[in-house]
Amino acid sequence: MAEEILLDVRHLTHVFPLGRHGSVKAVDDLSFQIRRGEIFGLVGESGSGKSTVARCVMSLYRPTAGEIWFQGVNLCDRAACRAHRTMLQRERQLIFQDSTSSLNQRLKVWDIIAEPMRIHGIRPPRGTYRAEAEFQMHYVGLDAGYLDKYPPELSGGQRQRVAIARALSMEPELLVADEPIASLDVSIQAQIVNLFRHLQREHGFSILFIAHDLAMVEFLCDRVGVLYHGRMVESAPTSALFQRPLHPYTQALLSAIPIPDPRLERSRTLQTFSPDLASLDGVLVKEEPDHFVLREGGRP
Amino acid sequence: MKRSILRSIGIKVLVFVVSLLILSAAVFCVARLAPGDPLVSYYGDRVEKMSPQERAWAEDKLGLNDPLTVQYVRWLERAVQGDFGISYQYKMPVTEVIAQRMGNTLLLGGVGLLLIFGGALLLGSFCAWQEDRWPDRLLCRAGTLLSCIPEFWLSLLLILVFAMGIRWLPSSGAYSIGGEGNVGDRLVHLILPLTVVVLSHLWYYAYLVRNRLLEEVRADYVLLARVKGLPRRAVLFRHCLRSAMPTYLSILAISIPHVLGGTYIVETVFSYPGLGTLSYESARYQDYNLLMVLCLLSGAVVMLCNLAAQAINERIDPRIRGERSGMEQEVRTP
Amino acid sequence: MTDGFQMVGIRPVPPPERGRPAPWYRGKPVAAAVVLAVIVLGCLCSELLMTKDPTYLDLANCNVAPNREFLFGTDAMGRDLFSMIWYGGRVSLLIGILATAISTVLAIVFGAASGMASVWLDTLLMRGTEILLSIPGLLLVLLLQALLGPANVWTLSWVIGLTSWTAMAKVVRTEVRQLRTSDYVVAARCMGGGFFYLLRKHLTPNFLSSILFMVVMNIRSAMVAESTLSFLGMGLPLEVISWGSMLSLAEKALMTRAWWIIVIPGAFLIATLLSITSLGNCLRKQANRKARNL
Repeated sequence: MAEEILLDVRHLTHVFPLGRHGSVKAVDDLSFQIRRGEIFGLVGESGSGKSTVARCVMSLYRPTAGEIWFQGVNLCDRAACRAHRTMLQRERQLIFQDSTSSLNQRLKVWDIIAEPMRIHGIRPPRGTYRAEAEFQMHYVGLDAGYLDKYPPELSGGQRQRVAIARALSMEPELLVADEPIASLDVSIQAQIVNLFRHLQREHGFSILFIAHDLAMVEFLCDRVGVLYHGRMVESAPTSALFQRPLHPYTQALLSAIPIPDPRLERSRTLQTFSPDLASLDGVLVKEEPDHFVLREGGRP
Repeated sequence: MKRSILRSIGIKVLVFVVSLLILSAAVFCVARLAPGDPLVSYYGDRVEKMSPQERAWAEDKLGLNDPLTVQYVRWLERAVQGDFGISYQYKMPVTEVIAQRMGNTLLLGGVGLLLIFGGALLLGSFCAWQEDRWPDRLLCRAGTLLSCIPEFWLSLLLILVFAMGIRWLPSSGAYSIGGEGNVGDRLVHLILPLTVVVLSHLWYYAYLVRNRLLEEVRADYVLLARVKGLPRRAVLFRHCLRSAMPTYLSILAISIPHVLGGTYIVETVFSYPGLGTLSYESARYQDYNLLMVLCLLSGAVVMLCNLAAQAINERIDPRIRGERSGMEQEVRTP
Repeated sequence: MTDGFQMVGIRPVPPPERGRPAPWYRGKPVAAAVVLAVIVLGCLCSELLMTKDPTYLDLANCNVAPNREFLFGTDAMGRDLFSMIWYGGRVSLLIGILATAISTVLAIVFGAASGMASVWLDTLLMRGTEILLSIPGLLLVLLLQALLGPANVWTLSWVIGLTSWTAMAKVVRTEVRQLRTSDYVVAARCMGGGFFYLLRKHLTPNFLSSILFMVVMNIRSAMVAESTLSFLGMGLPLEVISWGSMLSLAEKALMTRAWWIIVIPGAFLIATLLSITSLGNCLRKQANRKARNL
C-alpha cells in the first residue's frame, strides 16, 4: 500500500541576495518527501539551511527555484496559493525556535491559543474561545490555572507548550517545528519531545522536525535527512541511518555524538570530514530501499 | 571605491533635484487652488473698480488665463535661466525682494540657532551634572513652564513689559529709521525677537541633552572612569558629552528648518522685516512668484538638513547603512 | 491520556504573595492633575460659573479693567472675560482633543502601512511625506481652509490634525519595522491575519507606549496651534468663543494697554498646557519603567 505523500519538495533552491556583497545559496537542489502521519527529521549544522527549508515550506520565502507540493497544491504557484489560501493557512503550522518572541507578550495565554480560530472565524466547538483554549491546553499538559497568565510569567518549556497548543488548535496536517527544543534545558527537552511523540500518535499529523541534536532525532523521528551546506547528503529511515550511515559526512556527524559512559567515550576516535565542496556536486543515489545518498556523478 | 562614492553622491543629487521639481509642481498647483485674487496684490484696491474687460486684460498680462501646465512650463523655463519672475506686491524681481530681507532673517535665525544649541548644551550638561539636586529640579520646572508658553504670547508679553511698560527696548522693526547701517541700533532691535526665539526652543533641546547625558552616565565605562579616579565633572564633560554629540548633531540638523520656519510668528508680532513675514504675505495675498521661490528655498533647506542628518546617522550607526544594502530579507504573506 | 506519558517536574504554581501596596499617589503629579481637573470641570460646568452671558456685547463697558463686576475685565467688544474663559475653554479643549485624535489615527494607519510595506514602497511614502513637510504649513492651512469651508471647530480640528501627523507617523513606522520581524507577527501572518487585524491585535499594543507621550504632547501643540492660528486671523472667527479667538484681539489690546485681555487667557492656556505636560511626562516615565521590567 503506497502511503500518501503529504509534502513533496523537488529540487528546492533558495538564494539570498546580499546587495553589493553578492549572494548566498542557502538551499541547493534539495529534494525530499514527507508521507502522511510520519515524523521527518532534518538535521545539520548551524548554517546548513534548515530554517530556510522550514520557511520555504511555510511559504514565508518564495524559493528561487524548484517546486514544493503540499496536498496537491504547488506552493510556488501564486495563483494556486491564493485559490487554496484558507486550506494552506490551516493545514500547515509553524513552531518557532524562540518561544519568547513567538508569543505576543501582551496577550494572555488563552488569547494566544485561540488566535488562529479567531482569525479564521471558526466558531469554537466548546462554546467560548476561552473554553476552547482550556481544552487545547489540556492536551499539552498545562492546567487551567495558566489561562490568564502572560508569556513573561511562564518558563521556556511552558511557553513552547503554548506555542504547540496554538499550532494544534487548527488540527493541521503538517507541523513544521523549527528547532523547537534548542533553547530549552535538557530535562525540558525530553518532556517536549515526549509531548510531540504522544500528540503525533494521538492525532496522526506529520511533523517536519528540524534539529541539530541527533540523539533527540533518533528518539523521535521515523525518517531522517542530513543537510550539509544546503544540500541533502543522505536521507533514510532512522534505524537505517543510525546503524549504517553511508555518506562520509553522516558518518562523521554520528561519530561526534557523545556517549554518556566516560570510558567508552574516551576510547572512541572522532571521525573527521574534510569538506571538499566539489564533492557536493552530485545527485541522490538510491542505494537501498528508501535510503538515498549523495554521490558524485551518480545516477538517481 | 571612489566610483561608488561618486555614484551615491550622484544619486543623492538627482533625488534632491527631482524632489525639488515635484515640490515646485505641488506648490504651483496648491497655490493656484487656494482662494484669493492675485490681482489684488498687484493692483491693490483698484481691482474693485476695474471693469470686466480691464480684469481680463490684466489677467492676460500676468499670464493667469493659460492652463495650469502651460503656466508651469513657462515658469520652469524661466526659472532654469535664473529669472524667477516679478513679485506682484513689490513690483520688483523676486530675487531682489528676497535678497533684501534674507539678511534680516539669517541674522535672527542664525544667531538664534547658535544661542539655542550652545545654550542647550550648557544648560543640559549643567542639569545632568546636578541631577536631582535643587538646581536641576528648579531648572526643569522653569524649563517646562517656558516650553508651554506660546511664542506669540511671549512676544506680546515682552512688548507689553519692555516696550510699553518700561520703555527700554523698541517694539518693532529691524532698525530705526535711518539707522540701517548702525550695528548698535540693529542689535537693540534684535534683542526682543531673539529672546523669544531662543526661550521658546531652548528647553526642548536642553532637556534632550540632559536625558541623553543621564543615559550615558549609566553606562559601564563611566563607572570605570570614576573608579580610576576621574572627578565627576571631567567624566561628564570629557567623555559623556562626546558620546552624546553625534545624536545631538543629527537632531540639530533636523531642527534647523523647524527653528528657521518658526521665526515667522516672531517676525509677524514684532513687524520684523524678514522672510517669515514675506512668506506669510505671499501666501495670504497670492503673490505666486514670490511664494514659489520661498517654498523652494524652504524645501531645499529641509531636504539638505535631512540629508545631513541621515549622513550623520549613518556614520554613527553602521547598522542603518547595512540595512540599505538589501540584507534585510522580506517576509511575505503565504 | 495514556499512561507512560508522564509530566516530570510540573507542579501547580501558587499565587505570589502581595505586600502592602505603596500609596497610589506617590510620585504622581498630583498638583497638575488637580489643576487640570479644576479647569476641565470649570469649563464643562461653565453654566454654573458664568456671571454674565459671554456672547453679550455690553458696548457701554468696553475695555474695562478687572473689577468687582467684571472679574477679569471686558474685551474690546464689551464681552465679560470671566464668563468667556469658562465658556471658551470647552472649545479650546475640544479642538485640542479632536485634532490629536485625527492626527493619531492618521499617523498610526499611515506609519503602520509604511512599516509593513516593501522597501521601495516605504521609501516612496517617506520621501512623499518629506516633500509634503517641505510645503510651508501656512500654505497648507490656507488651502485646507479653502477646501473645507469657513473655519469652525470641526474644520479647524481637521486642519490642525492634517498638518501634524507626520512626526508621529515616522515613529510608528520605525517601531513597526522592528516589530514586523518578530516571530509572533510572522506567525499571525502565516495563520492568515490581515493588515488591520495585525494592527489592532499585535502592532498597536506594542508600540502604543512609545507614542503615548507624543499623543499627549500633540494635544498640547494642537491647542497652541489653535491659538496661534486664531491670533494670525486664520483660526476661529471672533463670534466663536475660545481662548484662541480671545487672543486674536490681543494685538489690538496692546495699543489700548488692556493687559488683561492678553494675560488672562494666556495664563489659563499655559496652566492647562503645563498640567497636560506633567501628566504626559508621568505617563512616559511609567511606560519606560514597565518596558525595562519586562
